[in-house]
Amino acid sequence: MNLRDKLRAVGGTGGQPRPAGEATTDCRHFAVYREAEEFPGAYDLTRETLQLMSDLELPEILDPRKILYLDTETTGLGGSGTVAFLVGMGYLTDHGFEVHQFLMRDYPEEPYLLKHVAAGLGKFDVLCTFNGTTFDVPLLESRFLMNRMDRSCLEIPHLDLLHMCRRLWKLRLGRCNLGRLEEVILGKPRTDDLPGSEVPQRYFTYLKTKRIELLEDILKHNAQDIASLCVLLNHMAELYLHPEKIRFSEDVYSMGRALEKLNRTENARHCYRLARRGRAGDLAGQALAVSYRRTGEREQAAEVWREMIRDRKGGITPYIELAKYEEHIRRNIPAALEMTERAMALCSEMTLRAEETVQQTQNELQYRYERLRRRMKETENHGNRIISEGFQSNQTTEKGTEGRGNPPV
Amino acid sequence: MNVSQLAEQLRQDHMFMKDVTRWEVIPARKARTLPFPACMDERIKPALAKRGIYELYTHQAKSLEATARGEDVTVVTPTASGKTMCYNLPVLSAILKNPDARALYLFPTKALSADQVSELYDMIEEMGVDIKTYTYDGDTPAAARKAVRQAGHIVVTNPDMLHSGILPHHTKWVKLFENLQYIVIDEIHSYRGVFGSNLANVLRRLMRLCEFYGSHPQYILCSATIANPRELAETLIGRPVTLIDDNGAPMGERHFVFYNPPVVNRQLGIRKGAIPVVRSISGMLLKNGIQAITFARSRLTVEVLTRYLKDMVRDPLGNAGRVRGYRGGYLPGERREIERGLRAGQVDAVVSTNALELGIDIGALDACVLCGYPGTIASAWQQAGRAGRRQGTSIVFFVASSAAIDQYIVNHPDYFLHQSPENALLNPDNLYILLSHFKCAAFELPFEDGDGFGNAPGPEELLDYLSEEGILHHVEGKYHWSAEDFPASEISLRSAAAENFIIVDISDPAHHRVVGEMDRFTAPMLLHENAIYMHEGRQFQVEKLDFDACKAFIRAVDVGYYTDADLNINLSLLDIEKEEPFAGTAVAALGEIKVTALVTMFKKIKFDTHETLGFGHVRLPETDMHTTAMWWTLPDELAEKIPSDRLKNGMMGIANLLRIVCPLYLMCAPQDIAVVYQVRSPITDKPTVIFYDNCPGGIGLAHKAYGMKQLLLEKALQVAEDCPCEYGCPSCVGPVGEVGEDGKRTAIRLLRELTK
Repeated sequence: MNLRDKLRAVGGTGGQPRPAGEATTDCRHFAVYREAEEFPGAYDLTRETLQLMSDLELPEILDPRKILYLDTETTGLGGSGTVAFLVGMGYLTDHGFEVHQFLMRDYPEEPYLLKHVAAGLGKFDVLCTFNGTTFDVPLLESRFLMNRMDRSCLEIPHLDLLHMCRRLWKLRLGRCNLGRLEEVILGKPRTDDLPGSEVPQRYFTYLKTKRIELLEDILKHNAQDIASLCVLLNHMAELYLHPEKIRFSEDVYSMGRALEKLNRTENARHCYRLARRGRAGDLAGQALAVSYRRTGEREQAAEVWREMIRDRKGGITPYIELAKYEEHIRRNIPAALEMTERAMALCSEMTLRAEETVQQTQNELQYRYERLRRRMKETENHGNRIISEGFQSNQTTEKGTEGRGNPPV
Repeated sequence: MNVSQLAEQLRQDHMFMKDVTRWEVIPARKARTLPFPACMDERIKPALAKRGIYELYTHQAKSLEATARGEDVTVVTPTASGKTMCYNLPVLSAILKNPDARALYLFPTKALSADQVSELYDMIEEMGVDIKTYTYDGDTPAAARKAVRQAGHIVVTNPDMLHSGILPHHTKWVKLFENLQYIVIDEIHSYRGVFGSNLANVLRRLMRLCEFYGSHPQYILCSATIANPRELAETLIGRPVTLIDDNGAPMGERHFVFYNPPVVNRQLGIRKGAIPVVRSISGMLLKNGIQAITFARSRLTVEVLTRYLKDMVRDPLGNAGRVRGYRGGYLPGERREIERGLRAGQVDAVVSTNALELGIDIGALDACVLCGYPGTIASAWQQAGRAGRRQGTSIVFFVASSAAIDQYIVNHPDYFLHQSPENALLNPDNLYILLSHFKCAAFELPFEDGDGFGNAPGPEELLDYLSEEGILHHVEGKYHWSAEDFPASEISLRSAAAENFIIVDISDPAHHRVVGEMDRFTAPMLLHENAIYMHEGRQFQVEKLDFDACKAFIRAVDVGYYTDADLNINLSLLDIEKEEPFAGTAVAALGEIKVTALVTMFKKIKFDTHETLGFGHVRLPETDMHTTAMWWTLPDELAEKIPSDRLKNGMMGIANLLRIVCPLYLMCAPQDIAVVYQVRSPITDKPTVIFYDNCPGGIGLAHKAYGMKQLLLEKALQVAEDCPCEYGCPSCVGPVGEVGEDGKRTAIRLLRELTK
């Protein structure tokens, strides 16, 4: 058996040699032009709006025409053997939206493709992708490196829409891939789109046959993805500017969470207030109260809890929170006891429905109840002594006070 | 009682001494030192001084100097001789001189790397310098990985992680590859066989990438004592090395006791089992408060002995934490706990497989008991090295089992004491292994026309083949990876099988827990349904083996027996490479075969008496392996003269003899090879004895055996003729019960004909 036959025995099936490629001096270029009307609000995007949505360091002046939307099509899922064979880059012009796609018809064209990418990136201030921070940009970095080319062009401010979208829609939608967002958020479902998992094999078949029509679907898909990035970004900007227009309470609540993470506390509270009427009302109410508590606005927080009790929202939590507030902030033991008793009553109602977590809450309430009863008695016996002592530990946490709650009589 | 007193007492004990075939005292050895060499950075000296080090042992100083001269170094050192200094000092010196310099440390297991890094941390902390040492393995949190890639001066990892986590993503490791100055590989003696052949190819890939990034790293390798450290090192890295084997570390006095359990049945040549003897020797050490390690050859024996020893020291609540079992398959946390217990002196007795043979730091113990010969001289010394401090006396007991190789060693202690240890063989050009790594290499960096792959043969043919398969795309002088796969995920470096079996304890239905794991080849033997699986001396019964999902479900039981499975082997021919006639019309041949292994049944064996209680059937799929083999085919006229029953017994005898002789003359471990006989072989259609490499693709043992095809038969004949038994015994052709009363005679007759 010669080496060739052995190789076959080890794991071969046999294959066909491919036609040799012709030497070229550039990669293939495609351009797609789309009307400005397809991108509502895109020209009005301001630096301030973007700043509201992300903590990215933006250039002093932001021109919406200086945002580059980029998406790659690749031969695999990563590692240094994966190549971006098609890179599409889109941007707004004075007349509409242009997408320029660079395709390497064979591996020797990769350096040309990368040169176009570098040149493209050089002309813009902000990069916008979908999952680009973990996929497209590291992959391109790797490709530049493998071709011994400068990769500093990739170091521009980068908006990754995947993360922004997740923050906004994960609660309601679960998975947030681009196709689903187009369908549910933008209301434009894709028809006969090529599944992403089939892309690499299509390209390898193209390499063997050089039949360009095999790539038509991929080119179309890529251009559509890029246009969607622009539409999606501007759609989000619109929502951030006018949260009252959002139809789903979950989304408004999620936006509040996103804003709070970016320290836009006032905007966040606005969202929470808006969301309180809808399905995410419980979550939004809680988030609002917690937000007040965090900034030390205890009375406002208490007011939110009271409103929640009034609206029968949030279950037991508002009672417990108010009990804490009355006990530790207001030092109003009778009020705290009343809240605890109401919570316990509600709890026993819920126990009938035999929820497992209720048991734990119930135990905690029982503990709180007994402590408060003790403190009630102590207060009755010792008058102001306990109260003044309690004030010294004003800033302590709930747990901290509990340990100190019963000084020796 | 301390070790010296115990040794003295045993020597007075005639009942014990009558079965001791040799009591060797290895005298204490003084330290030999040299001053710090000039190449060592001044800033290291105060840190060493704090540890009371003002000079280096000779082997340390010499390896530093050789490294400074730019040579690739291989240091051969026994256990506890300060080998880590041999690489830590040059690496620290280099980074102190140039903060951009990088080093890569490779240890065979995660446990070892954790151990060595803690020592390095201490040194760096004492120096108060900014040298970042990071472990990068499967346990490194994702958030920390970026820091390791960017800033780690010393990256500590294992071959598996280098193979699948670093090399395929080399563009994220630019800093490391551009500045790589030293590659440190410790415990290279453990890279034999498949693992070593894989590592050699991983290193070929590593060096290819270094070339791309313009770095030219030097190697510092460490090995335990083996016969061919230079050959092993040079095969691994594909470059010449400077060998440093002048050990200057001190060693206290050591007693080496060879004990052969007494014969209990003269006619059948049956000896008292090793396990009961070890039970009493280890028990004696335990009762005298002498910290000892007992090595057993199989996981099963480990569990049986652990149970025996635990029973001796159980407190009223049934706890026996002073006695621990240790073997592959225990979870990492459990193992670390046992290692700590040994170092801290909380564990007095540990029973282990060769899992503790490697350089995991468990401190030096006072005594060591080998239950059976571990198979190679190198292993035996490694295990014995676990007992022995730099000062003070230590003792090693070797208790022979009735296995032929054990009997040979215990009756020829000089062979053991003076013969050089075995060769560590590997074959980086094993086609299976080479091809897999070639794919990985092509993925990592396109090959160009005329490129080589280390010193691998036939790169052009491999490239053409992969192009024809459509995996590579050849255009303008470059071979581009053009497949969707991630080739590194398709290879496991340690075995041909990629996936391990997970062992799940379902005793508590509300709380299933994973208690261990096992490789794919062993699982059918030990985890078939109804097998008794032992873990830390506790018994479990296997309820279900889900072969496709690689899971075994076990439930705690308490029964008086354990199980032992029968392996059924089938062979088929793939290709004949060479053949030549000998001794008339007999034929010897070398080629490639497919080995199909199938477990069909198991035995239930009673504890203590070791009698067979019953049998059970096993229904599991077969496992396949392609490997290299050589075989001896008996001449027709000889086979025709002997009735087939007797022929079968004779051939069984020859196979048993070859199993004894081959490891000794090929200098390999018994488990690396397999010898089977077939009265009518599907390979030759004639009576045939077949020898094969017991690993996929082979590591070159069959080739070596083919070169000794006459000698091996002559030595087999010699063993049979020299053995005093009448009709056969476990030390030659096998026990009479197996080979029958005519087995030995027929084997000798056949061998005489074949060696005429």
